[in-house]
Amino acid sequence: MFKNYIKIAYRNLLKNKAYSAINIGGLALGMAVTLIIGLWVEDELTHNDYFKNRERIAQVYQSQTFNGNTGTDPAIPRPLEKALREGYQDNFEHIVMSSWNFSQYLKYKDISISREGSSMKRPAPEMLDLDILKGERDGLREVNSIMLSESTAADLFGSEAPIGKVVKLNSQYDMMVTSVYKDIPFNNSFKDLNFIIPWAHYITTQDWLKEAEDNWGNNSFQLFVQIADNTTMERVTEVIRNVKNDLNEETREFNPQLFLLPMKDWHLRSNFENGKQVGGRIQYVWLFAIIGAFVLLLACINFMNLSTARSEKRAKEVGIRKSVGSQRRQLIKQFLSESFLVVVLAYVAALIFVLLSLNGFNELAKKDIAFPWGSPFFWGSSVIFILFTAMLSGSYPALYLSSFKPVDVLKGTLRAGRFAATPRKVLVVIQFTVSVAFIIGTVLIMQQIYHTKNRPVGYDKEGLVQVPTFSQDFIGKYELMRSEFLASGAVVEMSTSSSPTTNIWSNMSGFTWEGKPDAFQEDFAWTEVSHDYAKSLNLKILKGRDFSKELATDSNAVLINRTAAKYMGIPDPVGKYIKDTDEEDPRDPLLIIGVVEDMIAQSPYDPVKQALYVFDKEGESNFYNLRLNPKKSAGQNLEIIEGVFKEHFPDLPFQYQFVDEQYGAKFESEERIASLAGVFTALAILISCLGLFGLTSFVAERRTKEIGVRKVLGATVFNVWQMLSKDFLFLVVFSCFIAVPIAYYVMNGWLQGYEYRIDLSWWIFGLAIIGALLITLLTVSFQAIKAARANPVKSLRTE
Amino acid sequence: MLLQLSHIFKWVNSGGQRIFLLKDINLNVAEGEFISVMGPSGSGKSTLLNVIGMLDTFDEGTYDFLDTSVHNLREKHRANLYKEYIGFVFQSYHLLDELTVKENLEMPLLYKKHRSSERKALVADMLDRFNMVAKKDLFPAQLSGGQQQLVGVARALIASPKLILADEPTGNLNSEQGEEIMEQFKQLNNEGVTIIQVTHSEKNAAYGKRIIKLLDGRMV
Repeated sequence: MFKNYIKIAYRNLLKNKAYSAINIGGLALGMAVTLIIGLWVEDELTHNDYFKNRERIAQVYQSQTFNGNTGTDPAIPRPLEKALREGYQDNFEHIVMSSWNFSQYLKYKDISISREGSSMKRPAPEMLDLDILKGERDGLREVNSIMLSESTAADLFGSEAPIGKVVKLNSQYDMMVTSVYKDIPFNNSFKDLNFIIPWAHYITTQDWLKEAEDNWGNNSFQLFVQIADNTTMERVTEVIRNVKNDLNEETREFNPQLFLLPMKDWHLRSNFENGKQVGGRIQYVWLFAIIGAFVLLLACINFMNLSTARSEKRAKEVGIRKSVGSQRRQLIKQFLSESFLVVVLAYVAALIFVLLSLNGFNELAKKDIAFPWGSPFFWGSSVIFILFTAMLSGSYPALYLSSFKPVDVLKGTLRAGRFAATPRKVLVVIQFTVSVAFIIGTVLIMQQIYHTKNRPVGYDKEGLVQVPTFSQDFIGKYELMRSEFLASGAVVEMSTSSSPTTNIWSNMSGFTWEGKPDAFQEDFAWTEVSHDYAKSLNLKILKGRDFSKELATDSNAVLINRTAAKYMGIPDPVGKYIKDTDEEDPRDPLLIIGVVEDMIAQSPYDPVKQALYVFDKEGESNFYNLRLNPKKSAGQNLEIIEGVFKEHFPDLPFQYQFVDEQYGAKFESEERIASLAGVFTALAILISCLGLFGLTSFVAERRTKEIGVRKVLGATVFNVWQMLSKDFLFLVVFSCFIAVPIAYYVMNGWLQGYEYRIDLSWWIFGLAIIGALLITLLTVSFQAIKAARANPVKSLRTE
Repeated sequence: MLLQLSHIFKWVNSGGQRIFLLKDINLNVAEGEFISVMGPSGSGKSTLLNVIGMLDTFDEGTYDFLDTSVHNLREKHRANLYKEYIGFVFQSYHLLDELTVKENLEMPLLYKKHRSSERKALVADMLDRFNMVAKKDLFPAQLSGGQQQLVGVARALIASPKLILADEPTGNLNSEQGEEIMEQFKQLNNEGVTIIQVTHSEKNAAYGKRIIKLLDGRMV
């Protein structure tokens, strides 16, 4: 029996090739989108699955309140570790202090590379359960040891055996390789942990690290923990919440609150607002899951619509089958098997789509998703997916078609009544509501990105190159390098800074100034810079002057930005002093010599933070800022710069970043979301249009006789086109009225997350509506005009 | 007695008026009869046939088929009853375009859950009997009208029904083809199958042993 069903279904598909192509193609497209989104969602949700102890690993976060604004981040002070170790050890399996993961130089023989790595306490490999390939697990025992990832070891040593070899770190320290661990896969935190150095070594490298040992105010470190087996994250959080508050008086005014952020939340739920966890990437996961579900729904609606639209053709079959004894149940089974067949075919096509587009998708989404050939979970869910889709798309046609009465259909009196098309209209309205909402959403996301990208950054980011100078080799060489670079002709201006132009690495508080309100809790972005900083960046000085080489007193001078002037509340800041409030060992008072334009250093969506650009007395910068010679091409300039660089630092790899590219990277996440949303929206519209196209052709076919009669009676092509298009246009207009408020509500909520944002203007909505109408018109007109131009004599004869 | 209709009424309401399609029909049909139903268009011939075939319902009266009260049956049981005992032949053949001759013949057997070997045997018998073996793999569109109707008759017959209902079986055929179909009916009737046919043609009606005339839903 089943064979008979499949046979009929198969022959039906072959007989109506266009219909089958639309049906299977549309469904396949929808399924492919859903599959890809499913793979993406799974990838997001399994982030950090690599770590065996993921259920018990957490990072210590801290919330502090400045002037009523609570900020939350993972930066914690050094003494906290000691406090937890001494007072609360029972709660933890491991307490692992860690530096940030940053780029450092590694050298072995002639090979010099730059890789990101961290300094961590001894139990780190144990806690992360690193897969040790060579050497020992306890690789951080000795102060001068280093653990390398497999790929880093391969880059340094090639085919040589790495264990026991000595690597030069930052041109200064000899570190012995104790172990090599398997690279941490892409889909995990710590994926860029290319090497690990003992914490004990790290704290000897710079003075400020030693000084931070008992400084509760210096939040410059990370603390990872693995909680004990007999407790929970919530319980430990309660235990440690006020540790800093209780132990340290000076920072109490900021009410520091500590808590654990479990590893499973690192990737997806790491946003905080006023000290409360407010989601994060999980919102995008939800967004795409919803898009995936909707796209599938659209494709299923096509199937339902096309199947029921063809009902008059299938009605005869139903009548015959019923008259030879088929029961309704059997017909339902037949139509469901038919939709099952279509769905299986569509699924196979979808798999091919997915395989073909997975690489492109990975590039677009910056993912490393492999097709899960061997995953029973994937195939299991595929079977469920197929059955679900078959039921979803097949149930309505099955119930509808099987309900025909044989007498009616065999007599040919089955004429779709006034309301027979109503469910179909509802489905079309749903499709276009979703599509129009998608269009509006995508346009708004793109507009917001475009708007923010065009925000004035305050300096000239084109033709500006940054060279990191972390290595000890650079100390004391600045003036020499400056004159060499300028003399080379590739650089027209140059300066140094402690933070990159596109970020703020340090924040500072503990200052007072004339006219500072009593309870004011100040907090400044803190960047140490050299002479000519403003000049090299083309940063405009609004008031006062730049640092001067002639005035020795400028070693204690500071430039403040426009926001800082407003923030401090002094009408004429130039000439005023900013004093350190530390009583024991105060810093020299800083003389404000000028006010500079606000520079977007952090999120381009947020207001610029009040910033101090302090003269760098010690010459311990982290970056050279090079203004390239505009008369030469960037390539020529870089070639010359590299030559000069290699001459003075032959052992270091030449590294550089274009500031405009670094700035552009701030939009990466939003742009990725926008391009993904754009692709999915386009597919959603395509699927809806496919359905509409199929539907119009059936309507045109069904009304062939009517059209013939009308034409004989004098209707023009335009009249007929109008008649056929009107109904569909009306449906789409109706969809717009539903979609616009929904899109307005959702997108308004989304935009609230950005401080710097567009206003929702009505013309966007108008544009989306007009766009949807045009697309509909095009789709419908194709069939309508074809039907309208047909020779009426022919159509009347066939009836 | 094969079937018994007593005081059957069927009506539709249109614009506040009740229009009778069947009015007080009383009909007894014994096994082995060959009845021709005649009457002008709209007199209720097809409706009567559909009521007898249980494809249509009625509003009043009783209908017993082989001692089963059809008027008390639910749809599912009615379907079981007619697929067991009744075969239909239609004016426009109503073959499934997507199935071959062989497969069209096989279809009723599928709904009666015959075994595969049994189905094959029955289909082969039918093809043989109607001289269609050579055409078994053709689709209906590849056959002439008369041949299509032969397949229709063969399909009605394949499940060995007690009763064949034919609604103007020759209406779409030329006289020669029509005669062939009527000869088949006559032969079937001689083998003991009860036949009720609706027809406009006096000549075809004459094949029947009894003629019923309808006018405005009433037997005259």
